[in-house]
Amino acid sequence: MGDKQTELLQGTLDMLILKSLGLGPLHGLGISRRIEQVTRGTFQVRPGSLFPALHRMEEQGWLSSHWGESENNRRAKYYQLTKTGRRQLDTETERWGRISLAIARALQAS
Amino acid sequence: MNFFKRLDILVRNLWRRGQTDCDLDAEVHAHLELLADEKIRQGAAPEEARRAARIELGSIEQVKEEVREARSGAWLEQLCEDVRYSARQLHRNPGFSAVAILTLALGIGANTAIFSVVNSVLLRPLAYPHAERLYLVREIVPQWSKFSPFLLANLPDFQIWRKQVHSFEDVAIAESTSAILSGAGEPERIHGVRASANLLDLLGVRPVLGRTFVPEEDEPGRGTAVILTDDFWRSRFNADSGLVGRTIYLDGAPHLVVGILPGSFRLPAALQGLDSLHHRQDFVQPLNGPEDYERDLIGEFDFGAVARLRPGVSPEAALAELNTVQAQIAQRARQGLDLRAKLLPAEEGIVGPARHGLVFLLGAVSAVLLIVCANLAGLLLARVPGRMRQAAVRRALGATRLRLVRQLLTESFLLSLSGGVLGLWIASLGVKWFVLVAPLSLPRLDEVHMDASVLVFAFLVTGITGALFGVLPAWRITRAQPIDALKSASAAITHSPRIRHARETLVGFEVALTTMLLILAGLLTASLGRILRVDAGFAVENILAAEVDLPPQTYSSLPDRLRFYDRVLEGVRVLPGVRDAGWVSLMPLSGQGSVTGIGLPGRQRVPDENPAANYRPVSSGYFRAMGIPLLQGRVFTEADRGRKVVVISKSIADRFWAGRDPIGQICVTQWAGDVESKVIGVVGDIRTVRLEDTPLLMVYVPHWFNEISVPASASIIIRTSMDPAASAASIHGLIHRVDPEVPIVALRPMTQIVSESVAPRRFQMLLVLTFALSSLFLASLGIFGVIAYSVEQRRHELGIRLALGAQLQDLRRMVLRQGMSPVLVGVAAGIVGATLAGRLIRSLLFGVSSYDPLTIAGVALLVVAVSCAACYLPARRAAGVDPLIAFRYE
Repeated sequence: MGDKQTELLQGTLDMLILKSLGLGPLHGLGISRRIEQVTRGTFQVRPGSLFPALHRMEEQGWLSSHWGESENNRRAKYYQLTKTGRRQLDTETERWGRISLAIARALQAS
Repeated sequence: MNFFKRLDILVRNLWRRGQTDCDLDAEVHAHLELLADEKIRQGAAPEEARRAARIELGSIEQVKEEVREARSGAWLEQLCEDVRYSARQLHRNPGFSAVAILTLALGIGANTAIFSVVNSVLLRPLAYPHAERLYLVREIVPQWSKFSPFLLANLPDFQIWRKQVHSFEDVAIAESTSAILSGAGEPERIHGVRASANLLDLLGVRPVLGRTFVPEEDEPGRGTAVILTDDFWRSRFNADSGLVGRTIYLDGAPHLVVGILPGSFRLPAALQGLDSLHHRQDFVQPLNGPEDYERDLIGEFDFGAVARLRPGVSPEAALAELNTVQAQIAQRARQGLDLRAKLLPAEEGIVGPARHGLVFLLGAVSAVLLIVCANLAGLLLARVPGRMRQAAVRRALGATRLRLVRQLLTESFLLSLSGGVLGLWIASLGVKWFVLVAPLSLPRLDEVHMDASVLVFAFLVTGITGALFGVLPAWRITRAQPIDALKSASAAITHSPRIRHARETLVGFEVALTTMLLILAGLLTASLGRILRVDAGFAVENILAAEVDLPPQTYSSLPDRLRFYDRVLEGVRVLPGVRDAGWVSLMPLSGQGSVTGIGLPGRQRVPDENPAANYRPVSSGYFRAMGIPLLQGRVFTEADRGRKVVVISKSIADRFWAGRDPIGQICVTQWAGDVESKVIGVVGDIRTVRLEDTPLLMVYVPHWFNEISVPASASIIIRTSMDPAASAASIHGLIHRVDPEVPIVALRPMTQIVSESVAPRRFQMLLVLTFALSSLFLASLGIFGVIAYSVEQRRHELGIRLALGAQLQDLRRMVLRQGMSPVLVGVAAGIVGATLAGRLIRSLLFGVSSYDPLTIAGVALLVVAVSCAACYLPARRAAGVDPLIAFRYE
């Protein structure tokens, strides 16, 4: 994702992170790979965007983190959704649904 | 998220930074390892995988910095960091910091002080409730308007307005007066206001003790009440609260103290007539009149009048109604004169005359601050190359450009804030000093102080100043690219023609402002010089004036007064060194005196034929003592006693009998009744009220002229053959030998009187001159800085030139030329600016045009000379470059 897109899609990035953590805790690289995978490579999250977002969301109480072992026995910091985070994901999903529907309608109409 | 949790995070971020940072570092490194593992799993060799991972991650430090910036409290943390860092930077350059803070403090201090004055005098509304409905009333006699366009108010007219002008909620009049306080302690001449009983109520001023006046106290013989000002009550009566209800003696008559005014109260000069000479205000007394001489409908225009309009009435409507009433008064007066009026918003009337000068001062002082800013910007720019590298390193380490700008601006704000705090202190001293030395004619001077809006102003100025001198250098520094950090001492960043250019532009700007200020200050100085050299029509050297006030209780009759003056003159004439002596009711440069019409018999009712003249009773020796030349005829002699004779000034003779012999002609003097008077002499014109004003028409009358021609207060004028100050003591003793009860109001040489009459002008000139000279000093510092810097930068080049055979003088000339070119441009721009600004201050000038070539040339010469000197010092250093050393210097 380029610099401009990051700014434009700030809320989107948060939502994608929340979504990728919906199935369980992941470390930073895991999150970025999951996002790449589910968006089929449309979004590639740079570490320079990912880490600030993770730390910000943790401060906001949507995520919690702990150090754990990775699949190949490396120490890594894992993030998981909190209750507030899950609620935030619901709100975001619902809001996004509304917006994308509205935009789709607007584009069809013109 | 709740507040406490947020606070907790903030505290953790700020206080346990080490740990969170450590954690972050581990996390990013773990990310790198995971990335590398991933590449290996995809089949890359371990070395290759690590390299690819690094490329994909980018700069670790940059990622960390971005995370730090995303955290809450980041701005606070950065601010603390920036402040600490800036303080360190400033500490490391103590010379620069001291110069910067000091010049800033002086600049901000001077601006804040002048703003305090402007704020108190011009900006704050008058301290009366609903001051917007207050208007000064001036009367107009169109036939006299050529000589005095506006007159003060007349007492009988005022009484008619009160009854007939319904647009006025109320109208009041006041004039300055004085009395001799006797009784307990030394008799003392005190000054105050004689006002209609409603004045205080109209203004909305409540006494802190006692009452205001009641309407009956305006009636003749019943106005024996008096209200004292707070100052006087404290100084003379020790703030005795039992004073109200007691009796004090004014001019020997018992007066009942009915009230004490609040401490803040001072009646502005504009409300008590224009020539209130005494700035002390001790008491207010009711009209207790009219006096005999105040009964004419068109007669003595002596009172300041102030009206309060009814709510909702426009000034235009009020004026229309007032003019209708004025027309009726003129008809009733049956003098063939018209009568009109003018309403002037009270605020305008009170502070208007001071506005121009104050705004000009504010402009001048802000120009000084601009120069301070330009100078600092120049100094900071000089340090740009040295800091480019540092900035480049910081950028390479992940600082964003905005972050760098912020840090550099913190530095300039730290400077301006220190300067601002120091400046506030300087301003508070400055305001005290200003109030102490400012001429008392400045309105509302007693109200001048620093208040909240001054603090806001100082704060804003401080901020703007910091931004002004900080932005340009900060912007230049942050153009540093990370790559520059590698090209360590590369010429590209240490030798920047762009920076030199920017500094030269700043110097040009400083020189332009300085030139402008100097020209304006020069014009004011030249004006003052012209005024002091103007031919006043009377002598100034070797003249001593003693002003005396005869106590009314012992000097109510004219013969008594005359006897006193005669005895004083007799005594004075035999004192050693005294050549001439005489008395006059009101000496030159002391105010207007009695101004009424003069005309010719038979023709006097034709409009325009009755100009206003200034009537002054004199003794026959006055003209010689004052050095007023007798042009034709003679002065009064004993042989004239009892006859209506006058001595007139030349301009009256020219007006009525141009080309004919005025001696023996008859004119009609309209002073206390129309009298046909014979002209026996013509004397030279004098500048009666102000040196700046063209001479007034003067009518001098002998003491036997009428029932008011022996004044109760007069000036004894003594011309001596030696230093007049030396005679002061003997004259003082003589007057007291004649009557120890007569107070001597003032005993001054004429030179001092002339000097005091121009005090406001001199004060303003000195302030502007101080500002202009400080600017010149600052600008020359700026020039010196630029040239010294450029010589330092070009040491190598100069060395090569020398080695290649350039002459020392050539180098010197080259440096000078380079230094002087922005100066010359600045001087030219300053001259243009000054001719534009000069038009705005034309009203402050006298006898010089706003583009006086002499002043402009003189200032241009001065600026060029000082700049040359400022260039020469570093240029000499350039010439002293040893080629060998220059090569080694690289």
